[in-house]
Amino acid sequence: MGVKKVEEEEEENRARGKRLKCTFNMEKQQEGGAKEEHDYGEGEIDDDYEQFIGEDDDSDEDDEHDNDDEEIGDNIGVPCSQPVGFFYPLTTPSSIVVSDALDPDLPVIYVNTVFEISTGYRADEVLGRNCRFLQFRDPRAQRRHPLVDPVVVSEIRRCLEEGVDFQGELLNFRKDGTPLVNRLRLAPIHSDDGTVTHIIGIQMFSEAKIDLNTVSYPVFKETCQPHCEEFSEYSIKSGNLLHCQHREICGILQLSDEVLAHNILSRLTPRDVASIGSVCRRIRQLTKNEHVRKMVCQNAWGADVTGVLEHMTKKLAWGRLARELTTLEAVCWKKLTVRGAVEPSRCNFSACAAGNRLVLFGGEGVNMQPMDDTFVLNLDAANPEWRRVSVKSSPPGRWGHTLSCLNGSWLVVFGGCGRQGLLNDVFVLDLDAKQPTWKEVSGGTPPLPRSWHSSCTMEGSKLVVSGGCTDAGVLLSDTYLLDLTNDKPTWREIPTTWAPPSRLGHSLSAYGKTKILMFGGLAKSGHLRLRSGESYTIDLEDERPQWRQLECGAFTGVGSQNAVVPPPRLDHVAVTMPCGRIIIFGGSIAGLHSPSQLFLLDPSEEKPLWRTLNVPGQPPKFAWGHSTCVVGGTRVLVLGGHTGEEWILNELYELCLASKQDSEA
Amino acid sequence: MASSSKTEQKKMLILKSSEEEEFEIEESIAVQSGTIKNMVEDDFTLIPLPNVDTETLIKIIKYMKKHGEKTKSNEKDIEEFDKEFVKKSFTELKELVLAANYLHITSLIDLLCQAFADRIKNKSVKAIREIFGIPNDFTPEEEAEVYEQHKWAHEEGKEHIDHSAY
Repeated sequence: MGVKKVEEEEEENRARGKRLKCTFNMEKQQEGGAKEEHDYGEGEIDDDYEQFIGEDDDSDEDDEHDNDDEEIGDNIGVPCSQPVGFFYPLTTPSSIVVSDALDPDLPVIYVNTVFEISTGYRADEVLGRNCRFLQFRDPRAQRRHPLVDPVVVSEIRRCLEEGVDFQGELLNFRKDGTPLVNRLRLAPIHSDDGTVTHIIGIQMFSEAKIDLNTVSYPVFKETCQPHCEEFSEYSIKSGNLLHCQHREICGILQLSDEVLAHNILSRLTPRDVASIGSVCRRIRQLTKNEHVRKMVCQNAWGADVTGVLEHMTKKLAWGRLARELTTLEAVCWKKLTVRGAVEPSRCNFSACAAGNRLVLFGGEGVNMQPMDDTFVLNLDAANPEWRRVSVKSSPPGRWGHTLSCLNGSWLVVFGGCGRQGLLNDVFVLDLDAKQPTWKEVSGGTPPLPRSWHSSCTMEGSKLVVSGGCTDAGVLLSDTYLLDLTNDKPTWREIPTTWAPPSRLGHSLSAYGKTKILMFGGLAKSGHLRLRSGESYTIDLEDERPQWRQLECGAFTGVGSQNAVVPPPRLDHVAVTMPCGRIIIFGGSIAGLHSPSQLFLLDPSEEKPLWRTLNVPGQPPKFAWGHSTCVVGGTRVLVLGGHTGEEWILNELYELCLASKQDSEA
Repeated sequence: MASSSKTEQKKMLILKSSEEEEFEIEESIAVQSGTIKNMVEDDFTLIPLPNVDTETLIKIIKYMKKHGEKTKSNEKDIEEFDKEFVKKSFTELKELVLAANYLHITSLIDLLCQAFADRIKNKSVKAIREIFGIPNDFTPEEEAEVYEQHKWAHEEGKEHIDHSAY
C-alpha cells in the first residue's frame, strides 16, 4: 500500500465529505444492550478504506467473528466481540477514533458517532488530521491550550513511539471551546507481520470543571503550598489532572512528601530515620510509612539483602526489623528438633541454606570414606525432616569441601578430599529443578586442588575461594573467582601484591556488596601453624583489589567487662548480618574459651571494634562453620551437637537475630 | 513532533526567571530538564519559569552546562564540580531542590537530596530542628512517647549499644 495511496484516498474522501458508519459489534451492543452474534448491521462500507486497512488480524477476542467477512471490524482486528464494558461501564457510550499508524503524523481515518456528538466535530472535519486538535481550545489555534498537561502529552507520545498501550486523562475541548475531560485509552493494532498499522483510541468524555480564566501560563505542577491540601482527581487551581494522588505538602520544609520521603529520607540509615522521626509531627508521619522504611533498608543494605528478607519473613515490618538488627535486642538461642536422618553418619560434610531449605552434601563416613549423597531439610514444612535428594548423578564423594549457595535455589560445590586425592572441580545443583541434578562446571584453568579452603558468594552468583591445603600439605594463600552468571564461567585468579599468610579453616564473609572479610584459620607463622585471630579485607570492586589487614580493637563501653577480641580459632562460624556487620563464634579455639561467646564486628567502620554479644537461651556446645547455615538473613542454624564421635543432626540450634514477625507484633 | 532546525547553528532557547530576567541557553543542554524538554517539543523557544528565581536559575543553568558537556574523559571533573556545587547554605539548597524538582532534572534532584541526607546524617534531633528551622510541635507527652520509641536510635551519641553492659 504505501503512504501515497493513503494520501490519495484521504484527499478523495475529504473532498467527497464521506462519512463512515460504524459496523462494529460493540456499537451494536451499546445501542441494543445485547451482544448479537454475526450481526454486523448495515452501513456504508467504503471499499477503498477496506483495501488499505490491511490484512485480517487474528486477535484473540475475535472468536465470534466470521473471518471470511470483510467488514472493517475484522480487518482492523479490533476485539469486536468483546463488550466495551471490559474497561468502561457498558451503559456509557464510548467515543472511538482510529488513526493510521503508517503515516508519521497518525492521521485520523475513522471516528464514530459518539465522537462526533461528544466533540462537536463532524467526521469530515477531522479525517486526515492528527487528533491533537482536541487539545486546542479554538479550531483555528496553532497549539494546544496551556492547561493541557504536557506531561501526559509526553507520555502519550512515548507510548505511541514504543508501541505500548496508553491509559490516562487529558484535557480536551469541544469545537465550541467547552473544556472536556477525556479519559483516554490508546492501543496499537498490529498486522500479521507485527507492524503497527493502526492506533485505536477509546475516549470517555465528561465535563471538565475548570475555570479557564484563572490560569497562569505556562502551567506547572504545584510544589509548594502553605498548607496541606488533598488532591483528588483534579487540581482545581492549575487544572492539571492528577491521577488519584494524595499529596500532602510539608509546609515546614516546603518540599512535597515525595521529595522529602522518597528522595531524602530514604538515603539515611535506619537509625537516622528513626531518630529524625522525633523532630516534628510531619516527619514522624513520613518515617512511619512502611514503604519509606523499606526503601531505607534497601538503600542501606542493598536490594539483594532486602529481597531475601522480604521473601523469607511473612508480614515484615521494616522499621522493626531495622531496629532489631541494629540493637540486636531480640537476639536469642532456640533449639529445634527435626526428624529424618542423615545416614550413613558422617563428619566433615558441608551444609548450606538455599532459601528456607538446608542442604548437606558429602562428608567423611566410617573408614574415612568420602560420601557423595545430598540431603535436604525443609524448614518451611510443618514437621521438618531430613530427606535424601535423589539426583541423577552426583559429584565424586568428598569431605573438607565447600558448599555455597548462589542466587535463589542454586548450590555450588568446590574442592575437597575425594577418593583419589584432592579435588578442584566445581558442581552446581538447582534445588528447584523438577529433577535436581548436579552438573559439572568446567571453568577453564581451575585453582590447585585443595581441602579446608574457604568460600563465599558475591553478588549472588560469583564464587570466591581462598586458601586451603594441597595434596602435599602446603598451605595456600591465593584468591580465585568464578563468575557463574557467564555462559562459560572461567576461573580467574585475583592477583594481589600482598596476601594474608596462607591458611586453612578460615572464614570468608561477603559484606557491602563487593567486599570480603577474612577471619581466623590455621595460618602459617614462620615454621609453625598457629590459630589466627586476625582480620583481613578486600574490595573486589577496586581496579586492583588488594588484601589489607584490618586492625581491630575491642569496644570499651561504660560498664562493660574487659575489652575482648575474639580468641584465635579455625573452623568457626562467620555470619554477615543484613546490615553488614559480621558475627563470629564457635570453631576450634586455643585455650579454654567458650565457643558459644559471640563477637560482633562492623568492618566498614573507620576503626572497627569487636563487640561481645550476650545472647539469652541455650547455646550449642560446639559450632562449626561447615555445618552452620544462614536462613533468610536473620536465622543462623547450627547443625547438631557433637557428643563423642557422633554428629546429632536432628538437633539444631538456632540463633535468631530478629523476632519472627508473624508471631510477635 | 517538534520542528527541529535543520541549519548548522545550534538551536537556542530563552529561559525567563520569575523576575523576568532572560537567559539564553542551547536547546541541547536545556533539555536535561524534563519540563523544558516537553515545552520544546511543542515548539516553544521562550520558556517562562515562574517557579524559579533568577539566582537559582543561574545556578541551574551552570549545572546543566557542566553536565551537558559530559564525556567519558571528564567524569572526575564533573564529580569535583558536583562536590563543590552542593557546598551551599541550606536555604540555597532548598531553593535549588524545589527548582530542580519542578524542572524535572533527575540527576540534580538526586545530587541535592544526597547532599541534604549527608547533612542530616548523625545529627541530633535538636540540631536538625535548628538547621531546618522546624518548630517542635509535639506535646510533652507525645514527645516523651516518641523519644521512648526511638530511644535506640538516639543513645550513646549514635554509637552502637554494647550488650556486654547487660
